[in-house]
Amino acid sequence: MGRAMLVLLLLLVPGLLTAQSSQFGVRGLGFPGRALAVRSLGSAGAFGLFDSESSQNPAALATVVVLTSELTITQGFRSVENPAGSASLRGTRFPQLMVAGPIRTLPAAVGFSFSNYTSRDFTLATTQTIDLRGVPLSVSDTFSSRGGLNDFRIAGSYRLGDRWAAGAGFHIISGSNRLTSTRVFDDPSYLSSRQRSELSFTGVGVSVGLTRQFGPNFALSAMGRSDGHVNVDLDSARVGTVDLPYSFGLGLRWRPAATLDLAAQTMVRTWSGANSDLLAMGGVGAQNTFEVSAGAEYTSDPRRPYRRPLRFGARYATLPFSLVPGQQGHEFGLSVGSGVRFAQQRAGVDLALEQVWRSEGAYSESGFLISLGVSVRP
Amino acid sequence: MKWVTGGILAALVLSGCQEKLTAPADCPALCPGGQPQVYDEVFTAIPGADSSYTGYLQPHQAPTLLASNGLQGFEQRALVRFLARADSVSVRDTLRAYTIDSVALSFTIAARDTTLDGVQLLLYRLAPTFDSASTFAAVAPAFVPESLIATVSVPDTLNSGVVRTVFQGADLSRVQIAAADSGKLALGVGVAAPSPTGVRVGALAGGSGPIFTTYVTMDVPDTGTAKLRTLALSAAFNTYVSEVPQISDSTLLDVGGAPSARSLIRFDLPPRIRDSATIVRATLELTPVEPITGLPTDPARLLARAILADVGAKSPVNTLVGRVPEDTLEIGATTVSLEAVRLVELWLGSTSRPSALILSLTPEASSFTRPVFYSTRVADPALRPRLRLSYLLSFPFETP
Repeated sequence: MGRAMLVLLLLLVPGLLTAQSSQFGVRGLGFPGRALAVRSLGSAGAFGLFDSESSQNPAALATVVVLTSELTITQGFRSVENPAGSASLRGTRFPQLMVAGPIRTLPAAVGFSFSNYTSRDFTLATTQTIDLRGVPLSVSDTFSSRGGLNDFRIAGSYRLGDRWAAGAGFHIISGSNRLTSTRVFDDPSYLSSRQRSELSFTGVGVSVGLTRQFGPNFALSAMGRSDGHVNVDLDSARVGTVDLPYSFGLGLRWRPAATLDLAAQTMVRTWSGANSDLLAMGGVGAQNTFEVSAGAEYTSDPRRPYRRPLRFGARYATLPFSLVPGQQGHEFGLSVGSGVRFAQQRAGVDLALEQVWRSEGAYSESGFLISLGVSVRP
Repeated sequence: MKWVTGGILAALVLSGCQEKLTAPADCPALCPGGQPQVYDEVFTAIPGADSSYTGYLQPHQAPTLLASNGLQGFEQRALVRFLARADSVSVRDTLRAYTIDSVALSFTIAARDTTLDGVQLLLYRLAPTFDSASTFAAVAPAFVPESLIATVSVPDTLNSGVVRTVFQGADLSRVQIAAADSGKLALGVGVAAPSPTGVRVGALAGGSGPIFTTYVTMDVPDTGTAKLRTLALSAAFNTYVSEVPQISDSTLLDVGGAPSARSLIRFDLPPRIRDSATIVRATLELTPVEPITGLPTDPARLLARAILADVGAKSPVNTLVGRVPEDTLEIGATTVSLEAVRLVELWLGSTSRPSALILSLTPEASSFTRPVFYSTRVADPALRPRLRLSYLLSFPFETP
């Protein structure tokens, strides 16, 4: 109960939290998603390459023993600061949906997942005075985007003996940005203007992964992924393509005690492949990113590890789409989480709280994310 | 644990009810695609393609009648012919003669110069033979003191409303209808005031025409009592005449007057405007040949209607509410601007509608204001009709 109270207190702490929406997702394709289930988010993503409910490594599906579905809801509160001012924001997203299950006749499992690949949800507001018809005139502009790219994955894994598992996935990457530019004039003689446009994206990718168990307490996991490119259409007219990154990940997991599980992982993504495409389209460009995270899961009862374990972790990552040419944004996050299974373990709820700090030069934001995962094993 | 989970769920639901994603933008870093640009451009009407057409509304079709005593340097007079008054009334299926007790004449003052006191309506007897072709000169001989039957004072406190005069006793002879007139009373209405002014008098077409009321007594045998009756007659015809005939100059643009004139002005907007611009303000700018004149405190309003098809004077016009801009013509104005963005929007996009509009005046054929504007035929381009557009082109949304 003490841990539950801690979770509740954390929930009530007036803090700032970020969902996928971010001012660092204004440029390029948006703010990258993490394809993690809530139980991995609680440990800062350190267990992501081993987690069957996450979508980072298809080989991780090998641990699925019953049909499982999981839905993630993320509520974010952010505080944004930039040279134009500051604001407190909030938003709700559903960044991860997954269904996976074993194949009875084979030592294999398949899964479908729907993940947030990038998010471009924002509204930006400015005010200025312009000279029109020889008269100074105050105007208010807002530019908003809703949408992003989604990653629909069909993946399978195969256990090779007791120690090895291999997996592969096919990804359909699609989405849209619904863009709106609005200008409102202070002088009622002028009508406000609202212009809309829609960007749509389509692409496919593949991923492969491996998991190797070294005895009962140590494991390694690795993945590689190629997303090819996405076709970009503006209002149904093809305007170009953007190369998507290759991704490489490596994770390790160590259980020093029956009650403690440690993990760390790193991911590298070659977003610089999109740089020339984005520059050609008038964007700022893109840079390679890396992400490193470390975390742990502690359970007081090794026989029932699903009963309110305590998860925690930290992560650091660089961001692919700069706001200012020559700079690169980065983020640091601390996470804590827990979960519970009930109804004879046929249902479960996981909770993750994450405090993050992001910055790039004069631009910064901090935020607090509450992620709730609901899983069902019928 | 259950209540913790429930609390968390409730907190999530409650906090997730409302999104707030608006942040301050620091440009250019946080302004993908830049910022909207507003352009301001003046388009002159197509040279030689603007014209005035006259005859839409005749004086006898006007909603009000004009009477003045030199407001614009000349006089205008209203003429009214009432319905015929029968010389007997049917009572119990029998026509019976009557005795006139009194007669009342009522006029509706639709508008006047409310800053001027001591205004009077002068009522003259006319022969009931005038019609829509009658001229000021033709009826002028009747506007002499010998024909004056009444002077109706317009109360200084009355801005608009009904004024009335009653004839009784010996005065009834002034409104006695000769047998040759077949029961028709005809009147001319002039204006007297300390200074030149004008009055707009309610007319038949406006539903507020003059009323000729006769109060009679009938002696009906077998009842032993006198029967009182009221015979109220509205105008059968009314019009007004001006001392100075209206003259139109084909090189100028007339609006208003009687017969009323309208002006057709055509513009040629480039495809970049028609196809993809968002117009935030459109101002039609006109230059009067002379400062706007009219009756103080009763300004006319200038209307612009987009035409649906360009067939000249009889072009059908758009009458959609909100798409017909109008504005007051201020007395003494040397330039006239009409905000017409909702009208110009009708010209945009994939439409075959012509980029043209028709100007008219309201109240039509019933205003002392008759603006005359320079057309595209004037040598000085600054005096020509023009449309000033403030617009945005398509926003260059960054991709991505």
